[in-house]
Amino acid sequence: MTVKVEKVEENKVKLTVTVEAEQFNEALDVAFKKVVKDINVPGFRKGKVPRNLFEKKFGVESLFEEAINYIVPKVYPDALIEGEVEPVAQPSIDIDFETMGKDKPFTFYATVTVKPEVELGDYKGIEVEEKSTEVTDEDVNNEIDKLLKKHAELVVKESEANSSDTVVIDYEGFKDGEPFEGGKASNYSLELGSNSFIPGFEEQLIGVKAGEEKTINLTFPEDYHAEDLKGQEVEFKVTCHEVKSLELPELDDEFVKELNRENINTVDELKDDIQKDLKEKKEQTAKNHLIDTVVETASNNAKINIPDEMIASETDRMIQDATQRLQQQGINLDMYLQYTGNTKEGLEEQFKGEATKRIRFNLTLEAIAEKEDFEVSEEEIKKELEKISETYNVSMEQVKNAFPDTTSIENDIKRQKAIDFLVDNAEKK
Amino acid sequence: MRDPKEIIKRPIITEKTSDLMAKDNKYTFAVDKKANKTEVKYAIKTLFNVEVEKVNILNVRPKRRRVGRYEGLKPGYKKAVVKLASGNSIELFEV
Repeated sequence: MTVKVEKVEENKVKLTVTVEAEQFNEALDVAFKKVVKDINVPGFRKGKVPRNLFEKKFGVESLFEEAINYIVPKVYPDALIEGEVEPVAQPSIDIDFETMGKDKPFTFYATVTVKPEVELGDYKGIEVEEKSTEVTDEDVNNEIDKLLKKHAELVVKESEANSSDTVVIDYEGFKDGEPFEGGKASNYSLELGSNSFIPGFEEQLIGVKAGEEKTINLTFPEDYHAEDLKGQEVEFKVTCHEVKSLELPELDDEFVKELNRENINTVDELKDDIQKDLKEKKEQTAKNHLIDTVVETASNNAKINIPDEMIASETDRMIQDATQRLQQQGINLDMYLQYTGNTKEGLEEQFKGEATKRIRFNLTLEAIAEKEDFEVSEEEIKKELEKISETYNVSMEQVKNAFPDTTSIENDIKRQKAIDFLVDNAEKK
Repeated sequence: MRDPKEIIKRPIITEKTSDLMAKDNKYTFAVDKKANKTEVKYAIKTLFNVEVEKVNILNVRPKRRRVGRYEGLKPGYKKAVVKLASGNSIELFEV
């Protein structure tokens, strides 16, 4: 097999692959074996026609299509390796039919889009603002407030409802003295101030007591979803059964013990723990922010002309991922599209920007890794495999079987190294 | 002797006869009903310009065939298996 590589246009390469006559004959043999099964010749059972008779009757040309189908996919990957071409999409194949024949070398042309060349810009000493990772007392207190609210209890009270209480009510709505649809419910727990009802309803209930009956006059808002109620004046008859108020638990050691957190028994310990948690979280976000900015800046500084095919295939991948995630929730893509009123094209458009960004990032990182000559040792690959084995809870054996070729892992490690390199060399402020 | 083209009607190409061709250098033809071995030998010699070693002849009987309610006969024919002297061969093709 001989391979000739020519550049046709930016990011596009034409491979001229010539296969020796011998190998092409082999392909014809395979093709014959396949074709002969499906033809009928009087005097012969199906699939029993001798090769020479077949060729006399149908011509050797009738085998060409099958032979091409067999030999091109077989030879193409090798041709890529020999021509040192890294494709990013399916090739378009052209066949040289004129020189084609039995006992003759076979030539085909594959035009394929390749990875674009990356012209790196500045990537060392990128200026980034480091986010502060300081945790203030206020942060801690907020966190504790949230915790208290989570453990708060609703307590029935006799007095009048105020703006943060919950009332249990029956209500029925009337328009022009007639009850309307959807305007009735009983034993409904309504949190005042939650704005879950139309404006005015909750406000007018402030001050009711348990057992009280109240009539509320309201106008539906103009942007209400039901056509016939929009902007209509209505009357609600409300009976209040109970008024409950939210009672926050006391912040003391007892409350802390009830939380059942390991090794945390006192309020101070809880505060320390929260402080630590928050610190960790903040550090993580700060780090992510740092990584995001350096990678983004580096890729923006680089000159890359990403071919459309690459974006399209990445977009496809993302849609497939999304579809799979939806499926795990028991929704298929069509249903999802119907819900959101979107179309497949719209979704593609949505993902396109993200896809372009991802490709840009990866290409930049790869280019940096190449330029800085990062080496990946056996040791590091092994470590990565072990990590995978731990995360997915499968044996090393299985992981090794799943990745017979470690180049993809190597690339991952290289990319990670490039990120670390960018961060280390960034100018932090 | 009669015209060779009148004697030899067509080659018979089936799985069985292609085996015979490949293994024993024997070629099979449908021949005229009244032809004999000598005539066939002569006809093959003149038609294909080959040396004939031996000719075997047999009659294929007419077969009964029925199409709906009408019964009839599929015509029989005389079949000749011609063995060529080694080194000789015929390019056969169906018409």
